[in-house]
Amino acid sequence: MQRRREAWLLIAPLVLFMVVWLGFPFLSNLYYSLSDVTFETLSSPTLVGVENFTAAIDSAAFWQSLWFSLRFALISTAAQIVIALILAIALRPLLERYRFLLAILILPLMISPALMGIMYKLMLNEFVGVVPQYLALFGLYPNLLGPDWVVTVVIVIEVLQWTPFALLLLLTALQAIPDELTDAAYVDGAKPAHQLRYIVLPLMGPAIALTAFIRFIDSFRVFDHIYVLTGGGPGTLTTSSSIFIYRAFFQQGRLGFAIASSLILMAFSLLLLWVTMRYVLKGART
Amino acid sequence: MTRRREPGVIGWTWRWILFIVAAVVLNLPVVFTVLTSFKVNADINASPPVWLFEPTLQHYIEVLTTPTLNFPRYLANSFVLAAAGTLIALVLAVPAAYAIVRMKFGGGTIVPIVLMLRTLPLVIFAIPFYFMFQWLGLLDTRLGLSIIAAIINLPFALLFAIAMVRDLPYEIEEAARVDGASIGMLLWRIVIPLGRPMLISIAILSFIYAWNEFLFGLILTTRSATPVTVGATLFATSFGIRWGPTSAAMVLSLLPPMLVGLVCFRYLTRALTAGAVKG
Amino acid sequence: MKKYLYGASAFALATTIGAQAALADVTLLFWPGPESEAMQQVIDAFNEGPGQELGFEVEQLLFSRQGFFDKELSDLAAGSTEFDLALVTTYTLGRYAPFLEPLDGYLDADVSNHFASVALDSLSADGSIYGVPTDISVHFAYYRNDLIDELMSNPDWQARYSEIAAEHLGEARDPVAPDDWTWDDYIATALFFTQSINPDSPTQFGSALQLQNLIFNIMIWQSTLVSNGGNWMDADGNITIDSDAARTGLNIYQTIIDSGATPPGSLSYEFAEANAAFGTGRAATTLQWNAAFNIVNDPNEYPETGGLVGVAPMPAGPEGHRTHSHSLGIGMNAASENKDEAGQFLNYLASIEAQEIYAAAGGTPAVPSILEGMSDVRPEFPLIGQFAADYGFVINGGTAAYAVPVYEVLAQEFSGYWSGQIDIDTALSQAADGMAQAIAQ
Repeated sequence: MQRRREAWLLIAPLVLFMVVWLGFPFLSNLYYSLSDVTFETLSSPTLVGVENFTAAIDSAAFWQSLWFSLRFALISTAAQIVIALILAIALRPLLERYRFLLAILILPLMISPALMGIMYKLMLNEFVGVVPQYLALFGLYPNLLGPDWVVTVVIVIEVLQWTPFALLLLLTALQAIPDELTDAAYVDGAKPAHQLRYIVLPLMGPAIALTAFIRFIDSFRVFDHIYVLTGGGPGTLTTSSSIFIYRAFFQQGRLGFAIASSLILMAFSLLLLWVTMRYVLKGART
Repeated sequence: MTRRREPGVIGWTWRWILFIVAAVVLNLPVVFTVLTSFKVNADINASPPVWLFEPTLQHYIEVLTTPTLNFPRYLANSFVLAAAGTLIALVLAVPAAYAIVRMKFGGGTIVPIVLMLRTLPLVIFAIPFYFMFQWLGLLDTRLGLSIIAAIINLPFALLFAIAMVRDLPYEIEEAARVDGASIGMLLWRIVIPLGRPMLISIAILSFIYAWNEFLFGLILTTRSATPVTVGATLFATSFGIRWGPTSAAMVLSLLPPMLVGLVCFRYLTRALTAGAVKG
Repeated sequence: MKKYLYGASAFALATTIGAQAALADVTLLFWPGPESEAMQQVIDAFNEGPGQELGFEVEQLLFSRQGFFDKELSDLAAGSTEFDLALVTTYTLGRYAPFLEPLDGYLDADVSNHFASVALDSLSADGSIYGVPTDISVHFAYYRNDLIDELMSNPDWQARYSEIAAEHLGEARDPVAPDDWTWDDYIATALFFTQSINPDSPTQFGSALQLQNLIFNIMIWQSTLVSNGGNWMDADGNITIDSDAARTGLNIYQTIIDSGATPPGSLSYEFAEANAAFGTGRAATTLQWNAAFNIVNDPNEYPETGGLVGVAPMPAGPEGHRTHSHSLGIGMNAASENKDEAGQFLNYLASIEAQEIYAAAGGTPAVPSILEGMSDVRPEFPLIGQFAADYGFVINGGTAAYAVPVYEVLAQEFSGYWSGQIDIDTALSQAADGMAQAIAQ
């Protein structure tokens, strides 16, 4: 019983904080989602029931944006994890000996994606930009923000910016593996490849899952750099869920619809969370 | 206890090569931003782009001296909100994580709810927060934005705090428990010191996340609490983006988190304890 | 000791009185850039002159242009009192009007005399004026004097031009001076200056269109719509965006895109990128806002085109030359606590004196007499007034509350068509549906 009280005590600040700061926003959003509300009627919305929800479910553009976000998140997460894992394992001795090198690698994290998007406008410009200039050296003249390449480009930007994030976490996890385990295997004559396959990777499983999980959630919500760079276009080719909802909210002033769309999104992610969390949270309790 | 093998000459060489390639590719946008910040406008607009040019400090001078802006203040605002947001998130998350992992308490409900926060497009909270902050007098204050930063960081901090506690050697805690240590003592004396590498990782990343936030920095501030992400966009005009000052502002905004990173790396020492106990 | 006490109380008294006599300062919200820099000069003149007599000062507050309208809308809708005056535009006016104070009661009766009527109209709603005009915008067809002179005088070029027109447009045409361009002439010129079509062209591309999914790009495109007799809706409010005129307009752009006469990257262009394409000498012409003239014609910004830039009206359709025209202006926050003072400043801002200061500092005031008078320093200024008066239009519904949502719909559908994601029928029917939905909101 005392343990229970202690547990309550430990968790109470978090719960209290959530209730105080998110209670009102959440309730008012719930109300808005069931209302006909624009910026003019912020303080006097009219309840209309589930109209906004059916409108969102019927909206092809909503599902299209969801599909984009899903693809975007899956591909960029996979790329980030693979690259970060390779870098973490390969560069570990180097990064441990010269710690400041890691600081160089995580530099890209420190520029806000919103600002990064602005800078990429200049970098990708076909005449004054540096990226097309490099590609031209190899005889390549792709239309980087055209329909054929734009999705790849926004994914590459995401991967370049956030791989360091995955690297930092995976490196920390790698360092947490006790030397004795790998040393023992070495003494037993295991080849490095086997050591990696049967000892390091399995031990890192939970950390990899956790990192992938976080990166997936964040990439799924992508907004800043795409919005600045392409505005969600050409057409709707790079319109992520967040961009779709932002536009409905501010540009079209359809507040109820935007919030209802977000709540549908939330229902999906909740489902996803419940499924993945079992693995992520439990992990290997050695 | 044996030492891990050190790589040989070849091992070092290819690692250095890989490092350099990774550093250059990942940092291409950063390098480009730094170069642009030292170019005069004609060089920025040159087609094809130029690599060799006469550097100028004019953009930095403009960023720091334009009277309608207050760039040092934007930097200070961002620093306060990122640091406070990180601290609040950690203070809330670590004890909760301990209860969830070690006492099997509330994990099933609280974790998904907190994580859900991170899956939502934040824009839908813009108006409710605006009203709430207006009512509480928190609009355009550093405290207000710190709370936002904490909210943004909470899901991530909780998740990693859980992972951290889970990986701590239970045996030490048990021993301390038997010795009659209070729960606060346990957290302060054992969990936090042992989890330090992870905690610092979380702190650095939370700091960066908060530092990079744009939307709420835009909507909830007017002049006093404007963060640097918003301040750096004040050189985008209806006549086009003024690349020189924008990139100079970005370089300046890069320096504080870089410093935090460099300072904290000293503490990111190897987590030896896990092995020490279990070995 | 006593002396100190007296001193202290005198000081306290002074500060109290000082606080009581504090000036009711007026705050003006604007965005960063040339407009607010020019506005600062007007404000300085006011604070040193009329403001002294009236007993208050005005200061400027700048919001990031990234998300400016979203932030401004949130503040106005939530009744913020952080600013008393704020930037309003033709296209956001209808949306902001519920949160703005009508200005009729604050402005002297004769202010309307010197402003261009198109500017005043574009800042009025329901018979009330909501903004004192500061800047007027129209579109120009930009060209290079050196290239066009050569084309108009070199027989070899003219023969080649004629061939290209015959091959691509089905009819041999002769080059025409930019002032007389029709859309066909414009397309032919664009093709002629495109290297993939004419290997001898001095420029790689003949045009630089702005096709990003962005409302401002639709404003430029609207010249093709209106000069062909189309509009968003007819006089009765029926949606006509899916008309033949719109089809013709979309295809004018599509022809230029398909023939490779605009850079492939145009799909992501907006104002600055089009300037870069034109200013670096890669594109021979561009359809662009008047504000670009001072940039691409400046040798310090673009050595390639500086001093060589010519401007003409947007090419003509059956309805002649037409250009979208809109205005920026300063309106009053309905929640302001300093309305009287704010009104007094607006009255000053509307005066010829203030508008002249604004123009001299780099603004583009909607006052034809000032624009005429500045032709020696700003050669494009007289044309702005002239084109706005002769060719300017405000699209039907362009000042309504649904204006921005409709622009959004059009930007999305039409950029979808230009990028080849959807066909023209889909784009037009979805545009009409989306418009109906936006208007119904």
